[in-house]
Amino acid sequence: MTDTPKFTSLKVQDPHTKNRNAAEKRFRSYGIIALAIGGLFLAALTFTILKSGLPAFTQYVMKLDVTLSQEQFDDAESQLLKTAVYRDIFVDNFAAQLDAQGVDVAYDAAALERMLGKVGGDIRAHYRENPNDIGVPTTFQLQLSSRVEGYFRGRVTRDTLVDSRFLEKADLDVVDVLRDAGLMTGRFNWAFLTGTDSGVDNPGGAGIGASVIGSFFMMLVVLFLSLPIGVAASIYLEEFAPKNRFTDLVEVNISNLAAVPSIVFGILGLSVFIQFMHLPQSAPLVGGLVLTLMTLPTIIISTRASLKSVPPSIRDAALGIGASKMQSVFHHVLPLAMPGILTGTIIGLAQALGETAPLLLIGMVGFVAREFPDGVAAGFLDPNSAMPAQIYTWAARADVGFYEKAWGGIIVLLVFLLLMNAIAIFLRKKFERRW
Amino acid sequence: MTDYKISAKDVQVYYGDNHAIKDVNVDIEDKTVTAFIGPSGCGKSTFLRCLNRMNDTIDICRVQGDILLDGEDIYDPAVDPVQLRAKVGMVFQKPNPFPKSIYDNVAYGPKIHGLARTKAELDEIVEKSLRKAALWTEAKDRLHSPGTGLSGGQQQRLCIARAIATSPEVLLMDEPCSALDPIATAQVEELIDELRQSYSVVIVTHSMQQAARVSQKTAFFHLGNLVEFGETDKIFTNPEDPRTESYISGRIG
Ligand SMILES: Nc1ncnc2c1ncn2[C@@H]1O[C@H](COP(=O)(O)OP(=O)(O)O)[C@@H](O)[C@H]1O
Ligand SMILES: [Mg+2]
Repeated sequence: MTDTPKFTSLKVQDPHTKNRNAAEKRFRSYGIIALAIGGLFLAALTFTILKSGLPAFTQYVMKLDVTLSQEQFDDAESQLLKTAVYRDIFVDNFAAQLDAQGVDVAYDAAALERMLGKVGGDIRAHYRENPNDIGVPTTFQLQLSSRVEGYFRGRVTRDTLVDSRFLEKADLDVVDVLRDAGLMTGRFNWAFLTGTDSGVDNPGGAGIGASVIGSFFMMLVVLFLSLPIGVAASIYLEEFAPKNRFTDLVEVNISNLAAVPSIVFGILGLSVFIQFMHLPQSAPLVGGLVLTLMTLPTIIISTRASLKSVPPSIRDAALGIGASKMQSVFHHVLPLAMPGILTGTIIGLAQALGETAPLLLIGMVGFVAREFPDGVAAGFLDPNSAMPAQIYTWAARADVGFYEKAWGGIIVLLVFLLLMNAIAIFLRKKFERRW
Repeated sequence: MTDYKISAKDVQVYYGDNHAIKDVNVDIEDKTVTAFIGPSGCGKSTFLRCLNRMNDTIDICRVQGDILLDGEDIYDPAVDPVQLRAKVGMVFQKPNPFPKSIYDNVAYGPKIHGLARTKAELDEIVEKSLRKAALWTEAKDRLHSPGTGLSGGQQQRLCIARAIATSPEVLLMDEPCSALDPIATAQVEELIDELRQSYSVVIVTHSMQQAARVSQKTAFFHLGNLVEFGETDKIFTNPEDPRTESYISGRIG
């Protein structure tokens, strides 16, 4: 009954094809929309972080040349109220400089103190530490008080400022004049990168340097414990262990451990390492141990996955010419799995670097990072904080000045994370077999 | 009895509950090519892998019975399978060169077995093996380029060179030509004929023509049983068992 097939032109799409093409087009546009939304979020996030965090990298200072003679120094040191003497010396120099520049503005010593804090102490400290500067003109860059800094950043305005012992509206006129005269300027805030945490009332002096060092020592512990332990465990489980109930159980538990909230590891660290083993509190060593526990499952899972992805024919080839199991693993399987193992390890480390909760439990809170460790042993054992814990501490403080420090800290943390990812990509490219 | 290179007695192989090899008795001579033929899934590879204990790597696999190499039971607890495999080399169905240079592929076996004391000795072994595997002329100018960059047929000859570099006494080959084109197949077959001068070769093949061309002895497997074993000429011209006859005439398989 069926007659010869009717001629259909390929230039006309049949309804079936049309539907299929429409579906494909729809799916593609979903994909593009999803990507665009993701990109938008990323852009917004980057913008917010940079906008809120970049101010932390500038610092507002007053530049002033001061000359202190030996007699003045000796005289001041013999007084009872030493810093007051230094303050007066400072005020004299300040007045002289204003005269020299032809700047005319009304101020008093109390106003200077409101703008600059206790300058007498700063100056005394400088000359006591650098006796060679006595007698020669020295340029001081004195940090402005947090409210004046707020005025520079636009956080404090004449409308919002309420006169107080910290700052008065009239002071802002002085600030304006000094700024126009070039005496008050902004500069790159090295102290933020190289400094330590400051007191709760001094956001300007807070730096993240000490907690970067804390994080660094922690990462050393994590790397040197979790990489060998994780890789050895994975090789054993993947290549040598008999497949039975027990190894199945181990496997399930490792997967579960990877999903355990980090704070649980923190409590474990607190009770085992500190309360039971009496390791020092707040020490990067303990933080590293806790983070090692947390990172191990990640490393084991990714290492096993990369060992699994090595074709079995390579193992057969090695065994077939009389290589032992261990030779086949170390000569052939491991080199092929290396890029995956390293990537997994660095991702695990990056995760550990950003972890906060367990560190708070073992006492590595931000305010502990008050000084740099001297020496490697102290780096591991002396109380310190770590970047994310420091950021958390800053964010929790009342003074708004700490708010931008927290954001600035996030930028530093992100830079380190990007760096680690770049290293991961580099290693993967380097170890990847090109054949 | 020690005239035979390998003799297998009452060999049973189980994969879990699957009885894959049943009561196989076979004697393999030295300097002879023995072919295993049979329909797919009948246990040829399984039995071949018993001969160098490659089945040890499969957890669920159990082997019973005796397999003697030069009169010694290779499943004796005192035997180290690694040492055994240096004597009984293997070439696999899919060419599987290491992702290393041609030179390193061939040199790996001699290196781990300490067969060469100096670099010159190693060079010599590599050259000899590549020559025997008929790959020398093609490979001598690119010894340090990756072995995986060779064509399929060349890769398989590289694997053969790698296997003979450790100077085995027996060479097991599991369908070594199944991934090769006719020209490469012809080259490998020629090579097998050469290898017979020095080794006992056992080859699994699904091609009856190939078995007829290269082997002197043929074993026909069916559903885990060794149905018939004898001179290749006889098996192909005058088989005793009806199952053999129907297989070689193309009725089963
Ligand atoms: N690794 C293995 N695990 C479980 N069963 C296997 C395995 N290898 C082979 N078998 C089984 O053993 C039997 C024989 O297989 P095989 O020796 O590969 O046959 P052939 O090589 O003749 O095609 C088949 O039933 C197959 O399913
Ligand atoms: Mg097979």
